[in-house]
Amino acid sequence: MSFANVADRPESVFTIQCRVLHALILRELKSRYGNRRLGFAWALIEPLVFTSVFVFVFQLIGRGGAPSGIPITLFFVAGISPFFMFRDIFSEVAQGTRGNQSLLMFPQVTRMDLLIATLIVNSLLSISVFILLVLGLFFAGVTFQIENLPGVMVGFSLLILLGLGLGLVVGAVSIRYEFVKKISEPILGKPLFLTSGMFFTASMIPPFAREYALYNPLLHCIELIRSSLFVSFNSRYINLDYVCIFAIVQIGLGLMLLGFFERQRK
Amino acid sequence: MIALENVSKSYGVGDNAHLVLNDISFKFPYRKSVGVLGANGAGKSTLIRIIGGADKPDNGRVVRTSRLSWPMGYSGGFQGTLTGRENARFVARIYGASYVEVERKTNEFAELGQYFDRPLSSYSAGMRSRFAMSLSYALDFDYYLVDEALETGDARLKEKFRQIFKQRRQTCSVILVSHNEQTIRKNCDVATVLHEGRLHYFDNLDDAFMLYRKLLFKKSVA
Repeated sequence: MSFANVADRPESVFTIQCRVLHALILRELKSRYGNRRLGFAWALIEPLVFTSVFVFVFQLIGRGGAPSGIPITLFFVAGISPFFMFRDIFSEVAQGTRGNQSLLMFPQVTRMDLLIATLIVNSLLSISVFILLVLGLFFAGVTFQIENLPGVMVGFSLLILLGLGLGLVVGAVSIRYEFVKKISEPILGKPLFLTSGMFFTASMIPPFAREYALYNPLLHCIELIRSSLFVSFNSRYINLDYVCIFAIVQIGLGLMLLGFFERQRK
Repeated sequence: MIALENVSKSYGVGDNAHLVLNDISFKFPYRKSVGVLGANGAGKSTLIRIIGGADKPDNGRVVRTSRLSWPMGYSGGFQGTLTGRENARFVARIYGASYVEVERKTNEFAELGQYFDRPLSSYSAGMRSRFAMSLSYALDFDYYLVDEALETGDARLKEKFRQIFKQRRQTCSVILVSHNEQTIRKNCDVATVLHEGRLHYFDNLDDAFMLYRKLLFKKSVA
């Protein structure tokens, strides 16, 4: 028999992994957006609704302007998009990439492939949504000038790593203690959300509360993104060393716990 | 080559630890159909998961330098919201095969007609397993990993799949895991018996059955 319809062997591990990642990413995009009528538009709806609601509420309570003369819509987009990206990556990683575990039945698909594919898909989607929203605002007449593009990219990258790290830790612990996944939303997610700086900058927080809020690495990332995005705004509170160490420790701890609890399964 | 090298696997920890596979080294012969006989609870499913890479061994490693199928007929890895064609395309991609070819062959074997372009979630159980089986045959593997059931569909389709399997047996290797002697006798050249974490190999099927019966019998008396 000929092996005409399969690639020539032997293949390097790297070739196989690239092929698997390519297939996984296409499959994920297709199953998320391929067969829905509005497709990718769904990804835009949540941040759009969020932003509109907050802008509306802020107008209502008479706080029309964001700090330092930043347009209020842009101010929220720069907080909401990055936070949603973090949240999505965290929950996907913690869920063990949801239903995709069954893909492990294919010999060449590994857990690592599933993890990398999830990270790539979610990051690219969230960043595209962010760019589309910013462009949309720009064409709607909200003018601005990006001060420091690399800073924005560093902010997003750190959020990806933070989401991965926290997802690994929560995912690993909930192999053994299933309730952890359920309570992670109210006891971890909520405080992280409220102090993430989506609605305010660090300088707007009262000093006694700021001290605690600055333990939230998300706040540093969002401050960094805003400082890099807006010429007129520069945060004094960003500590990137803290965020990097936080992310690295979390990822290391997550992988360690995963190895530990994986052995105890069943 | 598909081989196990000093593979051990246990579940649980401490006093609850249960050693399912105990330091197994075994090279699956090329171009032969190997049966793996095991009683219920002997660790057949674990062995399949380890060979197929769904689970990692605690110790040792699995060598997979040949093209190995996923457990034949398993459909868990398919996405219900995607169509048969899209699922076939995904599998073709991860194996680096031409997806035009794989799509064509899958539909030819499975005879799904227009359902091939409908989401998998709309398939009946029979169609689903027909699809899964056909997709495994649409790719050219060196080793087919088979868990128990090889048969699916009505009498005509059963015969069709039996013919395809017979052909493949000539040119490929098969690893068939089952608790059923008849299944092994019909489909295998040589056999191993999985018992208490060990694989016992026999060139002759009857010798394997003899050991298997002895073990089953001993177990039921005790």
